[in-house]
Amino acid sequence: MSVVQVETSVPRLGWISRLRPGVPLTVGIIMLVLIVLSAIAAPLLAPAGPAVVDLGSVRLPPSAEHWFGTDAIGRDLLARVLYGGQVSLLVAGAGMIGSLALGTLMGMLGAFGGYWVRAVVDRAIDIQLAFPYVLLAIAITSVVRPSTAVLILLMVLAAWAGAARVVRSIALQERGKDYVKAASVIGASQLRIALFHVFPSVLPSLLVLAAMQMAAMIVFEATLSFLGMGVQPPTPSWGGIMLDGKNYITSSWWLTTLPGLAIVLTSISLVLIGDGMQARTDALRSREGDE
Amino acid sequence: MSGALVADRITKTFAVSRGGTTRELRAVNDVSLAVAPGEIVGLVGESGCGKTTLSRIMIGIETATAGAITYDGRPVRTRAEWRALRRSVQSVFQDPFTALCPTMRIGDALAEPLAIHGICPPAERKERVSRMLEMVGLHPDMARRLPNQLSGGQRQRVNLARALMLEPKVLICDEIVSGLDVSVQAQVLALLIALQEGLGLSLVFISHDLRVVRYLCTRVVVMYMGEVVEQGDVEAVFDHPQHAYTRSLLAAIPDHSRLSAGATT
Amino acid sequence: MAPVLAVENLSVSFPGARGQITVVEDVSFTLEAGQSLVIAGESGSGKSMVCQTLLGIAPGAASVTGTRIDWKGRNLLTLNEPEWQAIRGAEIAMIFQDPTAALNPLITVENQIIDAIRAHRRVSRAEARARAVEVLGLAGFPEPEHRMRSYPSELSGGLRQRVAIALALSCSPSLIVADEATTNLDVSIQAQIVKLLRELKDRLGLALIFVTHDLGLAAEIGGDLLVMYAGCAVERGPVKSVLTDPCHPYTRGLLRSAPTLRSSRANPLRPIPGQMPKPGSVGAGSPFRSRCPVVVDGVCEAQRAGWTSAGPGHDVACHRFALEGREGLR
Repeated sequence: MSVVQVETSVPRLGWISRLRPGVPLTVGIIMLVLIVLSAIAAPLLAPAGPAVVDLGSVRLPPSAEHWFGTDAIGRDLLARVLYGGQVSLLVAGAGMIGSLALGTLMGMLGAFGGYWVRAVVDRAIDIQLAFPYVLLAIAITSVVRPSTAVLILLMVLAAWAGAARVVRSIALQERGKDYVKAASVIGASQLRIALFHVFPSVLPSLLVLAAMQMAAMIVFEATLSFLGMGVQPPTPSWGGIMLDGKNYITSSWWLTTLPGLAIVLTSISLVLIGDGMQARTDALRSREGDE
Repeated sequence: MSGALVADRITKTFAVSRGGTTRELRAVNDVSLAVAPGEIVGLVGESGCGKTTLSRIMIGIETATAGAITYDGRPVRTRAEWRALRRSVQSVFQDPFTALCPTMRIGDALAEPLAIHGICPPAERKERVSRMLEMVGLHPDMARRLPNQLSGGQRQRVNLARALMLEPKVLICDEIVSGLDVSVQAQVLALLIALQEGLGLSLVFISHDLRVVRYLCTRVVVMYMGEVVEQGDVEAVFDHPQHAYTRSLLAAIPDHSRLSAGATT
Repeated sequence: MAPVLAVENLSVSFPGARGQITVVEDVSFTLEAGQSLVIAGESGSGKSMVCQTLLGIAPGAASVTGTRIDWKGRNLLTLNEPEWQAIRGAEIAMIFQDPTAALNPLITVENQIIDAIRAHRRVSRAEARARAVEVLGLAGFPEPEHRMRSYPSELSGGLRQRVAIALALSCSPSLIVADEATTNLDVSIQAQIVKLLRELKDRLGLALIFVTHDLGLAAEIGGDLLVMYAGCAVERGPVKSVLTDPCHPYTRGLLRSAPTLRSSRANPLRPIPGQMPKPGSVGAGSPFRSRCPVVVDGVCEAQRAGWTSAGPGHDVACHRFALEGREGLR
């Protein structure tokens, strides 16, 4: 019997398709771990303290002695970027956690609340999304003296609505499913359904959101600090360091480019992680659907 | 009558707006349905006939525009009354794949009704879950699984088990076997019969498959466009259908027993 | 008459964690013009996979093997994608279970059919449109001239399935494969669609493959019946002969667990105990042996049963039947 092996039309991408979702995730995680570790290890890695002024070596370009060069008052830029990373990452992390917490709460209320609660949440989200956050930041910092705490508050205020919208749409989608009706038929309260049945389904998306939100927060911190409304000098943060270097952007490129590079790399690593996790949860969902 | 669930002159209208004009759609029109203890009432009709809406009103996940639901002769109206009724009237949903919370282990899903109603001390719940799993023909080890690790037939048994955890008197089943393979369907039907005969459970069995209804039910109610067009004992209705719609429905059922009877199609 | 389709020893398998997982094994059948074949089985029997290979739409990871799938003298097993495209829709068409998914929601019925026709034939739009009206009429679509401008969402489920049938008919195929094509429809609509398919088969001389899990529907369609279990064909023959005189223990079990309009509790259904084996776990023996009430010890575990004749055109793959005939099945 002649057995014919048929090559089907769809090209088989064997190893690539098996590799693809994992690779960006792994690369992103490695990048982020390196960035976080170097920020934590700043005291060990930095050639000098972030505030050590050496007026004898002002605006030196990157060299073997000063890898990142020095700034306008002779501080080692590598030290400032490393220490600035501590601040930027902490502030962004706090902003991310705060905005996710508020966003999740509002999103669940928007899906499970009574008529009026839902209406209020919906309008609040709409208003928040329609309002330019930089304007909001300027308005608030013109009233309150800018500080790290205010900065975090600003970040939470600016970013909760995006999270709330995602959480609300997933929760509403889950809420329409039979298992939620089945739970209410066995007598489960809305609170119970929200906490024990729907929230676990929101969780995977929340993790993806956390990575994406963190990336946005890194950029947001830099933006506000660059505008002088964020972390206040002499504490270094990536946005603040760029602000310091702004005036020398034509003559000393490294003062803005290198901290900018830190921001870009961190954001990229977080976006890679977010994308990778999204691919994972999508794959998990579709596998659930298949069975 | 003890344990009788009665839907009395139920009407349900929906507002449908199309092209700016809103009109009223009567999904259920003045329908009464009584379920006596220990009987299995088949509710049949085609999609859009109002059978599912009626069943949802009878378990309180939709409210009727007019009419009343009574249980044991007492009307059920307020939220508190519905909550109390949950222990006596339970329902099983059609789709075994969406009716179970995807993130909850089977054991937790089955213990949940006990926890909600504070029925037995937490220590005994596991034992009751195991017994219930065995009763519906599943291994007690299933308690540790997640819904997506189960087959369709197993999930439908879990659904049934969860509804039975509260030891209800009436079970409302909406198309619960239509998505199952025939051999699995027969297993679930055998289980339903055992429950009816063993526990004296009454069932409202909603189905579009008249072959299953004929086999399982004692009484049948035929709905068409929101109204009951015929009802009576299963034998009477199936062997001597009076309404033209019932006759056309019966004629449309694909049936291999006609082959052996010599009738050609 | 020579068959238009002859499938010989068709197997389909997928790469799994531990070697190839076979989902269709060694299935053979033939089909003549104007005849129908019902493939019946439960989920996991491989019946849908057989259909997909007949249209060259098996998933990319599937490896499709066999001696030959003869289609009007050509071997479908050796076609490449451009060759498939010329056959798919034009010579062999398919009707799916879910007409909503098979139709593009953003394109009118008229344009979908016109596009389908012009994809295969060099005809003007006006000619294609005339053909669209004609096939919609054939499919029992009411007032095609007037209503073919509708979008699929504006039609009922039954009408959508008629559009899907019209689409399948549009290039005058010689074979229509209907995969659970009536499963989601109401019984009265289902009866209409079944009647329509039977009429089309007779009128146009189409060959029809109708896949279903419902033995009642198999009886309504008529023609030949192929019963599949766990990827294997276990019984084949004229529908009437197989359903009134089932000779494989699985077919018997299926019939005993399926309620009919005559069944009652006095004569209880007898469910088949256990579950269908997982794909790839069947091994060398009879696929039904783990649930079979009449296993032949030492034989059923060891090898597949060959075909034994149970009547004119009626064959059974069962060791017990081969040894003892109908007596052995009691």
